[in-house]
Amino acid sequence: MKRKGGSDTESLTEKLLEELNCDTVFTIPVFGGIGVAESVVVTWIIMAVLVGLSIIFVRNLKVENPGKKQLVLESTIGWAKDFFEGIIGKENKRYIPYLITIILYLGVSNIISLFGFKPPTKDLNVTAALAIMSMFLIEYSGIHKNGVKHWVKHFAEPVPVVAPIMVLEIVIRPLSLCMRLFGNVLGAFVIMELLKAIIPVLVPIPFSFYFDIFDGLLQAYVFVFLTALFMNEEQE
Amino acid sequence: MLQLNVNLFFTIINLVVLYLLLKKFLIKPVTNIMEERERQIADGLNQASNAREEAEVLKNEYEAALTGAREESMKIVEKAQVQAKAEYERIVKDAGEKADDMLDSAKANIEMEREQTMKELQSEIAGLAITAAAKIVSNKAENQGNQDIYNQFLGEVGDAHDDTDDR
Repeated sequence: MKRKGGSDTESLTEKLLEELNCDTVFTIPVFGGIGVAESVVVTWIIMAVLVGLSIIFVRNLKVENPGKKQLVLESTIGWAKDFFEGIIGKENKRYIPYLITIILYLGVSNIISLFGFKPPTKDLNVTAALAIMSMFLIEYSGIHKNGVKHWVKHFAEPVPVVAPIMVLEIVIRPLSLCMRLFGNVLGAFVIMELLKAIIPVLVPIPFSFYFDIFDGLLQAYVFVFLTALFMNEEQE
Repeated sequence: MLQLNVNLFFTIINLVVLYLLLKKFLIKPVTNIMEERERQIADGLNQASNAREEAEVLKNEYEAALTGAREESMKIVEKAQVQAKAEYERIVKDAGEKADDMLDSAKANIEMEREQTMKELQSEIAGLAITAAAKIVSNKAENQGNQDIYNQFLGEVGDAHDDTDDR
């Protein structure tokens, strides 16, 4: 890489754009070609890894005298269960597996750049998909708990004037979830790429700890935490 | 970068599939194991408390039984003491009575024997007196007067008679 004049900046921009671009890995040759993005392929890899590890670690579970691996597994799942139960309550146990799935998926995808993959959450499609699912889950949990009538009515509470805002909230909530996650991961990714382009030695290490690991896990935590919180709110 | 396309639906499908797979392979088994263990622990605690209650009941029963047994034994000992005392008194009384009877019969025997002896003696004395009288009469009839014979007889018989009176 050249480091002089306007052409340097240009090439850096180009490189960044190239890094930021979500490539289409392959195209399914139907309906004039459906492009499958990199994020989807990485998601498949993550799925394979998660399910594979699950199958490996869940084998030979014992009720008595659990091994070290089982204890780690149990305390992790137990922590997640307690965490979500604390927010949405024991009566909403059935949503907990989904929330655990999402936190695992987000946790892995946000730090997968350490392993040389582009994080799928850097693709707006993925965060939007997550947000849409959260939206349906939030509204569904409200309807399931209190019935359609109550759900329709609750838009006009405490006063009917707020109804437009309350209706907007349906969209705003997942939009904020989607954009927060996307913006954080993208921002971290851009900063790390810039740092690596300018000073490739030693300096990126502490930043990598923060942006790749801490921020990634934090965003995963925030995403499911807010989803659970919104569900709880919707059930009131 | 900033475009929504068909990959959104792919991602949704991916997430649903991942959810189902993880639920089946990770969350369900782990949760089941944890619940099973919780159930076992709860069962164990229940059993332990049940066993303790049972033990408490048994202990009370045993204590009651022990107290009953102690009272019973004390009663038995008291009864035995009373009975033994009664028996002792009875035996002593019997022995006294028997001894009295024996003494009485012995006394009676002695009396009877004494009387018999007396009778025998009297008859012997009478015999002796007759013999003596016959002897005197036969010996002194010629030599002495009637007065002497009479005196001698009286003397002999009177001695014998005095003898019995003295006793």
